Amino acid sequence: MAPTNGRRTWLAAVTLAVTTALGCGPTQSDRVVTLWHQMRPGDRAVLEDRLADYEQATGVEVRAVYKETEELRSGLESAVLVGYGPDIVYGPSDPVAVYQEIGALQDLTPWLGAERDAFDPKALVDLPAFDDPGKQQLVFVGDRFGNHLALIYNRNLIEAPPKTTDELIELAKANTIDADGDGRPEQYGLVWNYTEPFFVMPFVVGYGAWIFEDAGPGEQPRPTLDTPELVAALEFVAGLRSKHKVLPLSADYEAAEALFKAGKAAMLINGDWSWQAYFEESRRQQKAGEEDAIDAAVAPLPVVSSTGVPMGGMVAPKGYSLSVAARGERADLAADVIRYLTGEETQQVYFDRQKVYPSRLALRDEAAIDADATLRASVEQINTSRLMPTATAMRATWDAMRPPYQQLMAGNLDAAEAARQMQSGAEQKIATLTTSIEPDATAPLVTVLGLAAFVGVVAWQWRGIGALTKDLKNNRLAYLLAGPAVLLIFLTVLFPLVFNVVLSFSNMSLQNFRDWQIVGLHNYQSLFAGDGAARFWGVFFKTIFWTVVNVALHVAIGVALAVTLNGPVRGKSFYRVALIIPWAVPAYITALTWRGMFDAEFGSVNQVLGLFGVSPINWLSDPTNAFAACIITNVWLGFPFMMLIALGGLQGIPQDLYEAARIDRATRWQQFTNITAPMLKPVMLPAITLGAVWTFNNLNVVWLVSNGGEPADQTHILVSYVYKAVFNLYQYGYGAALSMVIFGMLLLFSVLFLNRTKAVEGV
Amino acid sequence: MAGQSVSAKSSALAEPMAVTIGRHAFLLLFVAISIWPVLDVIAISLRPGDKLRTTELEFIPADWTFESYRQLLFEQPFLRWMFNSMVVSAVVTATGVALASIGGYAFSRFRFVGRGQMMVAILTTQMFPATMLLLPLYLMIAWLGLINTFLGLGVFYVSTALPFCVWQMKGFYDTIPSSLEEAARIDGCSRWQAFTKVVLPLAAPGLVVTALFSFMSAWSEYLVAAQVLQDTEMFTLPLGLKSFQSSLSTQWGLYAAASILVSVPVVIVFLVLSKYLVGGLTVGGVKE
Repeated sequence: MAPTNGRRTWLAAVTLAVTTALGCGPTQSDRVVTLWHQMRPGDRAVLEDRLADYEQATGVEVRAVYKETEELRSGLESAVLVGYGPDIVYGPSDPVAVYQEIGALQDLTPWLGAERDAFDPKALVDLPAFDDPGKQQLVFVGDRFGNHLALIYNRNLIEAPPKTTDELIELAKANTIDADGDGRPEQYGLVWNYTEPFFVMPFVVGYGAWIFEDAGPGEQPRPTLDTPELVAALEFVAGLRSKHKVLPLSADYEAAEALFKAGKAAMLINGDWSWQAYFEESRRQQKAGEEDAIDAAVAPLPVVSSTGVPMGGMVAPKGYSLSVAARGERADLAADVIRYLTGEETQQVYFDRQKVYPSRLALRDEAAIDADATLRASVEQINTSRLMPTATAMRATWDAMRPPYQQLMAGNLDAAEAARQMQSGAEQKIATLTTSIEPDATAPLVTVLGLAAFVGVVAWQWRGIGALTKDLKNNRLAYLLAGPAVLLIFLTVLFPLVFNVVLSFSNMSLQNFRDWQIVGLHNYQSLFAGDGAARFWGVFFKTIFWTVVNVALHVAIGVALAVTLNGPVRGKSFYRVALIIPWAVPAYITALTWRGMFDAEFGSVNQVLGLFGVSPINWLSDPTNAFAACIITNVWLGFPFMMLIALGGLQGIPQDLYEAARIDRATRWQQFTNITAPMLKPVMLPAITLGAVWTFNNLNVVWLVSNGGEPADQTHILVSYVYKAVFNLYQYGYGAALSMVIFGMLLLFSVLFLNRTKAVEGV
Repeated sequence: MAGQSVSAKSSALAEPMAVTIGRHAFLLLFVAISIWPVLDVIAISLRPGDKLRTTELEFIPADWTFESYRQLLFEQPFLRWMFNSMVVSAVVTATGVALASIGGYAFSRFRFVGRGQMMVAILTTQMFPATMLLLPLYLMIAWLGLINTFLGLGVFYVSTALPFCVWQMKGFYDTIPSSLEEAARIDGCSRWQAFTKVVLPLAAPGLVVTALFSFMSAWSEYLVAAQVLQDTEMFTLPLGLKSFQSSLSTQWGLYAAASILVSVPVVIVFLVLSKYLVGGLTVGGVKE
């Protein structure tokens, strides 16, 4: 089989098998248009109202659903691969280049080309066609401008907003107050999110730096992160924290917001999406007559004193794209929906209700903008901001800037070194994005060996299969009982499994999304050799540690509680319910709550530890502590389940065994080790095995508590590492290979563990 | 049973005071740890203005309000989502428990060709990182025409819950001596009767554990639901909750209130079922 045909044959075979087996294929109704969007709550309400009007007028149903970035992309990927997915996507302009690169978008010119001139040209994105780089296509039509940062200040603390950074420092110093003199201020002058490099961009622009060198059309921009201007910007930022001491020691998005809303930060840098909430909070606090109520106002960020350049930041349009899933008549319908939603009437409603800055020039009513102080400040800020590039390299660049930025803000890295690391990281990541892996010598080998291995296994197991068919008759009841469960389990996982095996030998990536092919062992080689290898083993051992500690504590705490609860205690039902609570409440919010509780200054963990005389621990900005915080959270989430199983298991232990032991004067510990533990074993083993597997692959807790691997990607376990590789750099083949390795390791562990504990054996 | 509770009582009296105090102290410590973060969630749900964090340590916010709960119940299709989730979870639980109770029995009591391999093989389905399954899963659901159907959702849920359930039931059956069944067979029961009349009742704690697990895996599942369900009317609770989320402007008040309300049915189901877990049936008086 020729390697170039490999992928088609594989995919076609699997597709055919699945579709014929079930006798059906995807169908999409022609009067229903699917819209996947990323709108914030206030905007969603407007969207729903507008769509209701549209449906009434046209009879076309528009299904609008909010989707996260990754979900939105996997929908578009599916549109490319099988022609089924959302018809329209709405979001910021920066990922559009990625969508176009995989061939997921359609040219909107036939429908909206005539109206081009009515829009601000920056709100429209034209990109080279997927199949014809010489042709430009209109792939994105913005309905608004925004997503820009500005200064929010508390008017009760600051009379007039700073015009220059010198004034900013002065005002911030005057408002950083340590009343009790313990070296930990109760009020800070300035605060912003230290975890996302997007928030440092106004300083970057103000110091005359930029992240990319302007590139020619169709070229990848070159990162320019290691320039004197950028170093100066980072030095200034670091100085605010270490020299002027006007910033809190650590702050993520939520912490920064909480500080400002509580009146404990005089100034905040945040985006246009957040401003309304501060005004509402001000009104509420004032109405409630709170003594130190805040009074929020928005101002453009100041001019950098040493350069005379305004702190501009980044601005981006948000808008609609038409996906390739909308074919035939539905393409017309979907394009009409886009025209309606970017039309003057809709934009006017958004302007009136949500104060968004329209993309249609006719709506930029200066009188209306001038009349509103916030809007005036916002537009002024937009005019000094730079347009966010729509290059595929954008996400790789953020990714490269994030760890050094976090290290800088934690005071662990100086500005020059941070800039150097940003630059080399960005270059490396962009190179990964743009290289396409060609089949090597192992490619035909893998294809042939794959088939040979399959045939070999069948031949080798032929006698086994013969024995099975014979046994089917003799042992009919057993197969009848086990069959339904086993078949159902495999029905759903077989395809994803095969898909991943094939993918792991392929070069599927941003460069080769549609035309991917089997390239051989390359992905596996780059796992165990080269730059990534040292990193891989580090993360691997951390994952082992994570799994062992978590499962051991889950089981130890769970069994201890179950044994205690199983004895003669009053109030059993109260304890039972209270102890099951960590399992019952959705983990997403409790994990985030734990993150809040680990906050170094305001979190309750440090406050409780303080009662016992423990000095405050910097939980989240130190890699070891952050990892410990993840473990504590996960232990909390997992012990009730083990307790539940142990409680179930304890019911099966005959009481007379204990009575006999008591007659023999066995101690409680002897009773536990000689009766309870061995009798619990068969019940606990499946839970321990699967618990280990689940813990090994538990992405959520690490992701939520450490906010995606913070600080500086040092808290990763293998799955979160895969997640970053796949979703930030679009290395699907590499991610699949990594998943296969994880799969292999877990399989090995399970087989060894089950053999050792004889768990497979029956009675 | 009566004898059991009498003996429990007498041993309660027999237990030294120090041990009783020790038990309560240990349990209370973990009760405190269990509810500590949840008190925070309750505080978020009562706080006006969507604040995930505050700089104050307070259990009930000074300016508390039930506004989030009111909005959730009267302005959001929350009850609809709750209904959807209940239906899906109930069907998944019933199917999962039924299939696992017979499947686990086969693996515990029968010797047949491929038994060991099948047991390990069903475990392997749990070993793949879920994030990598996102794309193939969506492709498959689209091919099968299962988009926007509860059937599609149910099939996936049962099949993801089953590996654990089958293994767990096998574990529970392993603790029940086969002599009991043999005795029943001698008394004239068929193999099936021995299973339903003797083994199954004794495995009640196992059934409860599998039921709770199946229920929770359907009740809290997000990834597959997000791929299958595309219509707000058909959302299950995790999807509904997720719709309050959005990058940097999550409606925390609604999210927290919904999280609290979502936990209530779980606690109720647990309360109803857990009487089989504590002081339930025990295999007393069987001597090997």
